[in-house]
Amino acid sequence: MPRVVRQAAVAWQGSLSRGSGTATATSSGTFELPIDLPSRISDKPGKTSPEELLAAAHAGCYSTSLAGEIARAGGTVERLDVTCTITLDEVEGKGHLIVSSELDARARADGIDKAGLERAARTADDGCTFSALIRASASVSVRAVLESS
Amino acid sequence: MAAERRASVTWRGDLMSGSGTIDEVGSGSFGPLDVSWPARTEESSGGKTSPEELIAAAHASCFAMALSHGLAQAGSAPERLQTAATVTFVPGTGITKVALSVRGIVPGLDAAGFQAAAENARENCPVSQALAAVPEITLDASLDS
Repeated sequence: MPRVVRQAAVAWQGSLSRGSGTATATSSGTFELPIDLPSRISDKPGKTSPEELLAAAHAGCYSTSLAGEIARAGGTVERLDVTCTITLDEVEGKGHLIVSSELDARARADGIDKAGLERAARTADDGCTFSALIRASASVSVRAVLESS
Repeated sequence: MAAERRASVTWRGDLMSGSGTIDEVGSGSFGPLDVSWPARTEESSGGKTSPEELIAAAHASCFAMALSHGLAQAGSAPERLQTAATVTFVPGTGITKVALSVRGIVPGLDAAGFQAAAENARENCPVSQALAAVPEITLDASLDS
């Protein structure tokens, strides 16, 4: 099996509450993003955060997994729209924890019916690397809807 | 107080020849970013990001914030921390390893104190806890003078 290695780096200056940093995609060079604490915990984030990056990772992981499962079930994917929402919460006695990841998928595909899509959506969740990892410590939920193409 | 963070991806076509886009994120701070299966699983990223690279960015960020907080609480606020996370992905198996590293400039702290603070951040940052099922999370911490 090939081993694939992906790296990102952060430069942080100062304290947590008043400091700030930059997160850089070292492997692909595709992003260099400012980060700070207020953006991580406030209602109106202007910058990205570890949880938003995980939401992007999970939506990406799940969409590839679902594309594969729909094809395996005999369907043809025209388009998938997947949104992931990750919740960070303060849990008594444990501090801040990532408590849930919710996946919402809308599929436009031929050759698969509603029941088939729901099965594929569950299998895709089982097969998505990140779902499997995060399920050990948080809840993962999946909703999948078939749209007419 | 709970903080929700959201990202949306559009995928077109099948797994092997199709491709996706991370269209938008709740903060509006990045996107669109392209993703594809070949870019995810081949040795070279081909200039595209991947779930594993985003996980690396999340973990390196979370680790840096937790460490800055721990150091400041212990009375040694850092001047600068440079963290990195390297995620190893084996297709068909999953994520087998995250290697965390940090180089810090921390006035008034010795190497042993820095090592202990880094170990604590590795154990307790929310992303480390979310990734606790990863078989191996290593740490390499050193102080810059």
